[in-house]
Amino acid sequence: MKKPVYNWLLASAVATILAAPTVSTANEDVEKLTQNPANWATWGGDYAGTRYSKLSQINTQNVKNLQPAWSFSTGVLRGHEGGPLVVNGVMFIHTPFPNTVYAIDQTTKAVIWEFTPTMDADVTIPVMCCDTVNRGLAYGDGKIFLQQSDTVLTALDAKTGKRVWSVQNGDPKLGMTNTNAPIVVKDKVITGISGGEFGVRGFLAAYDIKTGQLAWKGYSMGPDKDTLIKPGKSTTWQDGKVTPLGADSGLATWKGDQWKIGGGTTWGWYSYDPKLNLVYYGSGNPSTWNPVQRPGDNKWSMSLWARDADTGEVKWVYQMTPHDEWDYDGINETVLVDQEVKGKMHKTIVHFDRNGVGYTLDRETGELLVAEKFDKSVNWLTHVDMKTGRPQVVPEFSTEHNGEDVNTVGTCPAALGAKNMAPVSYSPQTGLFYISGNHLCMEYEPFEVSYTAGQPYVGATLSMMPAGADVLTGKKDDSTNLGQFTAFDAKTGKIVWSNKEQFSVWSGSVATAGGVVFYGTLEGYLKAVDAKTGKELYKFKTPSGIIGNVNTWEFNGKQYVGVLSGIGGWAGIGIAAGLDDGSSSTNSEGLGAVGAYRSLGSYTKLGGTLTVFALPN
Amino acid sequence: MKANSTLATWALYLALVAPMANSQAQDKFKVCADPVNPPYSTKELTGYENKIAALFADQLGQELEYTWLPDRIGFIRNTLKAENDNGEGFKCDVVMGVPAGFELTETTKPYLHSTYVLLIAKGRGWDDIKEPNQLAQLPEQRQQKLKIAMFDRGPGTDWLQQNGLLDYGVPYQSMTGDSEHNVAMQIEKELRAGKIDMVILWGPMAAYVQNQSAKNGYIAMPMQSSAGTRFDFSIAMGIRQGDNQRKQQLNDLIDKNQAKIQAIIADYKIPSLPIPEKPAKKDDDD
Repeated sequence: MKKPVYNWLLASAVATILAAPTVSTANEDVEKLTQNPANWATWGGDYAGTRYSKLSQINTQNVKNLQPAWSFSTGVLRGHEGGPLVVNGVMFIHTPFPNTVYAIDQTTKAVIWEFTPTMDADVTIPVMCCDTVNRGLAYGDGKIFLQQSDTVLTALDAKTGKRVWSVQNGDPKLGMTNTNAPIVVKDKVITGISGGEFGVRGFLAAYDIKTGQLAWKGYSMGPDKDTLIKPGKSTTWQDGKVTPLGADSGLATWKGDQWKIGGGTTWGWYSYDPKLNLVYYGSGNPSTWNPVQRPGDNKWSMSLWARDADTGEVKWVYQMTPHDEWDYDGINETVLVDQEVKGKMHKTIVHFDRNGVGYTLDRETGELLVAEKFDKSVNWLTHVDMKTGRPQVVPEFSTEHNGEDVNTVGTCPAALGAKNMAPVSYSPQTGLFYISGNHLCMEYEPFEVSYTAGQPYVGATLSMMPAGADVLTGKKDDSTNLGQFTAFDAKTGKIVWSNKEQFSVWSGSVATAGGVVFYGTLEGYLKAVDAKTGKELYKFKTPSGIIGNVNTWEFNGKQYVGVLSGIGGWAGIGIAAGLDDGSSSTNSEGLGAVGAYRSLGSYTKLGGTLTVFALPN
Repeated sequence: MKANSTLATWALYLALVAPMANSQAQDKFKVCADPVNPPYSTKELTGYENKIAALFADQLGQELEYTWLPDRIGFIRNTLKAENDNGEGFKCDVVMGVPAGFELTETTKPYLHSTYVLLIAKGRGWDDIKEPNQLAQLPEQRQQKLKIAMFDRGPGTDWLQQNGLLDYGVPYQSMTGDSEHNVAMQIEKELRAGKIDMVILWGPMAAYVQNQSAKNGYIAMPMQSSAGTRFDFSIAMGIRQGDNQRKQQLNDLIDKNQAKIQAIIADYKIPSLPIPEKPAKKDDDD
């Protein structure tokens, strides 16, 4: 569906593009847009993914006066992840499947255009693992880029909503889907792939923004020609130093041809350093799912990556969780900030992994600088050995070590991680990262009968429960909260403060120059806290649970804060999918999440809404 | 998701005579199934689960009504546990085939006990294999020529690993994302094309592959469960947790129709073992 434009505010940006001498200017355009805090032009607010805004009109003093200014129903149920983009005054929002995109005029609050791709629900929905979410749009070159659920990557004219081109990024028949937000880098748009449950081999792909032609594609595992690892040149952290990789490192730690269904999907967020010209992201779970059936480190699943933006060539790669036994998908966002670590300035990359460890690496070289737990209830490892870069696994919490007959109890974090996909924010004012966290542990009970597409097999059942331990000390305290919002110093690996939340925090935060950090809760509250102390300054209950990212921008001289509410996702799937029947405490559908989240249904119901906040006039 | 036309009609009917809904609902035998899932179910009702459903509906004097959805991740939550859009009842009440003790549903008593089967295409240099363990004992040179399918999570993969054959497996996804082809159809195609010569496949699927091919095209050997790996499973019907009345009804029907059910299953040449008293538990080493 397309509707005519009756208002267009992007004229100046278009003129800039037309006047530019080369085609490789989209990133400069996006860079320029992100430098003006009036915009929110990428998922992370900037290429570095800091989710920091220089706007300070709303500050610690006046945020208590915040009010909802206007709201907009997306017309779609299910989980709303990601958040609004604002580019030169025009707002762009998106929905879960069927992936409708709206361009909205902020003056009239009217829809300028809307676009809903044609997708077959009966084909697409059965291959989407954990609700039908979409993490957002990208802007560049006068186009809005939409990564559809059915793997089609679509470029829309930002003025008209007309489809300029589209390309098939994956094959749904092989279980491939997409949920990620793309990112525009120079003359390319970069996207990934989902479908680890089906054994999809993950990749990052770059397409020409003008034509949709594939420029490069780098797989997570396989021979060097597939991974775009250059032996002798691409490096990893090993033996306490940055070490060149040998040939076919993406094959060596797999038995036979298992790498072909090796997983390592790339459904998270991507960041970019224009000066180093490197794209950063994390790869996910290895497949097959049964760790016993895939001996070895399973490289390069569960890894952080730095790739050359022009060629996809790997600069460095670092595996966080070799031979994953816990489902600690490594796809969480990567934030690029310059920090002093141990007396030396580094261009760092900071990543808070599902596995509970906050990693700080030098983003030029891949040198491991800091690796510390950001939730001390995490117990599957004692620590990361800084020399080898490997987690020191506690045998008690290794399902494989325990053997298939043993019920592994009390492993923390649970499979949904000490933090899931909700992106952190970083404030240069405080030097702190703000982490939307989970606070759960799991039981891993073997020998339930599982079934997949007509074949029974013997599997394991996950059940999750509150961690019941203090985030700062790890001491048991009988607490029942499932979520935490934590401030962390990535220079030293120290937790500075942490607020309990009743449910997991599944919403990406934003930090502002006003000294305020905003995030959403699963019950549906938009919250504002003091960036220094964590003190709660404001809250407002939106119509549904929040799993979207809070963004902020300026329009006509006024600062706005906006968020999509709409419960769903993994944490909310019990509600989103209507499977919370309350009849079984270890209901494992929704991958074990339902039991722990049962009471969420008392707090919030389905429905997608954008709520925009501002100070009163 | 699109409701099928019968369901849409039914929804309209409910809207008109809502107070009658509960008693009327019991006049239908409502099944959720995959429309392209031979030999279990097909939209043309050619699967053995379709036949058993028809048998039960007939004996209950109820109309058999299907809601179709590809059997993938979320099948149970999107069918058996999904309420109709009008809020009146669920999309269906029964899923005809799930393993006994399946964790996502309540299960009836089992009506079939089958096992994984090693299928080897004849005439490709493996005709001398008479029992699975022979593969493990072959000289390495010959093992390297193995083209044996290997599935994520499948017990066949465990077996390959235990026998040092993991390096020779050809990996396949245990679920296909393709709503037009299920795993059985895919494997049949791959065997035919020579991409693989053998596979350890769940009994009903192995039977499907054999039935699709020329007679005697395969050597078929049932896999024996051991302390390390379980190959045989009981199959029951899946119902919503707490739906005890239906469970009782279906259990009675299963008891009453043992012979007829076995005859249907035999028609499809599905390997069938005696049904254990209780769902088989894995043998412990100690």
